[in-house]
Amino acid sequence: MMTPPVLSVRNLRKQYGDFIAVDDLTFEVFSGEIFGLLGPNGAGKTSTIRILMDIFKADAGEIEMLGSPPGRSRERVGYLPEERGLYRDQRVLEVLVYLARLKGADPAIARRRAEQWLERVELQDWATKRVKELSRGMQQKVQFVASLIHDPDLLILDEPFQGLDPVNVELLKGLIRELVGDGKSIVLSAHQMNLVEELCDRILLIHRGRAVLYGPLQQIQRDYAPNSVRVRAKNLPSDLPGVVGSERNGDIALLTLDGIGAQAFLAALVERNVEVESFEVASVPLNDIFVAVVQ
Amino acid sequence: MKKILIIARHEYWVNLRRPDFIIMTLLVPLLGLIALIIGAFFGGQAGSALVQIFDIDPGLSALVDHSGRFTPILPQFQEEYIPYSDETVARTALENEMVRRIIVVPPTYPQSEDVVVVTAGSRFSESGTGDLRSFFITHLVQDIDDDVLRARLADPYDAQVENINEESRSSGGIAEQALNFVVPFLFSMLLIITVFVSSGYLLRSVAEEKSSRVIEIVLSSVTPQQLLAGKVLGLGALGLTQVFVWIASAFGLSGGLAILVGIAVPLFARTDIFLLAIAYYILGFTVYAVLMGAIGTLGTNFQESQQISGIFSLIAALPMMLMGVIFSNPNGGLARAISWFPLTAPTTMMLRLPLTEVPRIDIVVSILVLLATVPLVVWLGAKIFRLGMLMYGKRPGIVEIVRLLRHA
Repeated sequence: MMTPPVLSVRNLRKQYGDFIAVDDLTFEVFSGEIFGLLGPNGAGKTSTIRILMDIFKADAGEIEMLGSPPGRSRERVGYLPEERGLYRDQRVLEVLVYLARLKGADPAIARRRAEQWLERVELQDWATKRVKELSRGMQQKVQFVASLIHDPDLLILDEPFQGLDPVNVELLKGLIRELVGDGKSIVLSAHQMNLVEELCDRILLIHRGRAVLYGPLQQIQRDYAPNSVRVRAKNLPSDLPGVVGSERNGDIALLTLDGIGAQAFLAALVERNVEVESFEVASVPLNDIFVAVVQ
Repeated sequence: MKKILIIARHEYWVNLRRPDFIIMTLLVPLLGLIALIIGAFFGGQAGSALVQIFDIDPGLSALVDHSGRFTPILPQFQEEYIPYSDETVARTALENEMVRRIIVVPPTYPQSEDVVVVTAGSRFSESGTGDLRSFFITHLVQDIDDDVLRARLADPYDAQVENINEESRSSGGIAEQALNFVVPFLFSMLLIITVFVSSGYLLRSVAEEKSSRVIEIVLSSVTPQQLLAGKVLGLGALGLTQVFVWIASAFGLSGGLAILVGIAVPLFARTDIFLLAIAYYILGFTVYAVLMGAIGTLGTNFQESQQISGIFSLIAALPMMLMGVIFSNPNGGLARAISWFPLTAPTTMMLRLPLTEVPRIDIVVSILVLLATVPLVVWLGAKIFRLGMLMYGKRPGIVEIVRLLRHA
């Protein structure tokens, strides 16, 4: 990456009593990328995020966020917490303007932006309704708007897709991609691995407070399946060169190779006149990697 | 600072519009108004019933004067005393309830002191004969030429008591002393009431923000100190608004402009105490409000937080409970001790100041202690805030709070 990191965390540590929530965590997030912060429940994701947001203090480690320590850059960072909630008795627009003002936005600009964003998430008719009148999904969209209403450079989204229907998941995905297109950087924590695969450029997988996987997503997936191919073919011979493992599912076979490259293996298939319907270098689904690493 | 004001304004206006706030604020004047209406409606009947029960109104007295010492009756007594020449006629008047009692002065008066009083009521309802004293004295001394002597004989002295053990500043009459006392007393009451009222709002606001989870968004935008300060300011103002509406309505209903003036006069007569009372009020309120706001985060809901905060409400009211001890010895050991303790200092000092010449060191120390306590509770409050954020689903014990505070 050429650009300097928007977020740089070095040797972060947080302990509650005897329990180590975050253990020597180091990672960087670069400008204009979607960074996946993954891990099972209780892995230390939320603790890490809360430290980034200066809600908790770290016991040790250094953080530089948009060029300053946490807390100094509050107004340029947006945050959607995992624990959802809004002022239930207040009106949607009122809540959004108030939260934007707390982030230092001018009230008139905040109001205009709130109205624009409500329209983007198809809630313009609910602006003057009380929050408690909205459905869960609607409230979640309002909260998403609240996290970016002050036009932040860095957006931290903790489980933004939780509880959304497929239509709204698509809507949110579109908005996230658009934000990145506008040059924003996003830290995304999510449990839906298929969405992470779709959206994230790089990931950090935390387990028991420690980093277990860190880097570009594609790289990690390839590293995890060092040499396997997925072949769809009728009558696949069983004595193919270099195959040390195979998993069959109807016409599709996932073959683990040893001592032969994917290209050479394909050539071998062609040579033996196997009717190949499809052939791909297999990457292991992130979901499988996640389960394998965490178990 | 700007964010503190944004929070304060938000809290003030949002809570001002809450139905329960409006109902509570209007309830007190409304109850007063209802009491007034009932009073006016049933006033006449109730009044006469009261008179019959307690015999408050002295009514008319029939005077059968055989000595001639009291005839004619002096003008100032003519409305209450009617001369009767014949005792039998007077008794008929008593039976017909035209008079309340008969006073029979024998011809041998004043050589003989026996005077007969005949009343219609029972032994228990009789109001006594104390009021007769001034009637008798005034008539007996009427021949004395010296006005002053005559006045003194009728009302010999107005005692100004001075206790040499109490270095008390000898002041004017009892009335002025009472007023001098009433004002700071009202201030202490005001402090306690606003602490109770506002801390209730603070507790609820924080507890609600916590249970609705919105506090995490807010804390990602402002520091805990800013949030706490904004809430204390906004909800303190809200509590004051409510208390002022109550006080104003009480004065308005009782036609109590006179009371206001009565309070204002001694206020300006002793500005030093007044200014000190304001200082104690502000400092005391700040300390308590910050504490209450922070404690609000500890419970999982409003009720739980309220239970935890109960102990502080109790401490705030402690000097009022010890009022008897403070009154009897305003510079005693106990009074001085709780003046040096930040949680009791404001109320205690407000009670002591008007009563006596408080040692200067007590004033200086109590103010300094309070000034030092404010940043301390703000710091501690912010820590508790961070800590309280963590805890969902369980109420922590004191030991756990202390343990967790080290990590917050």
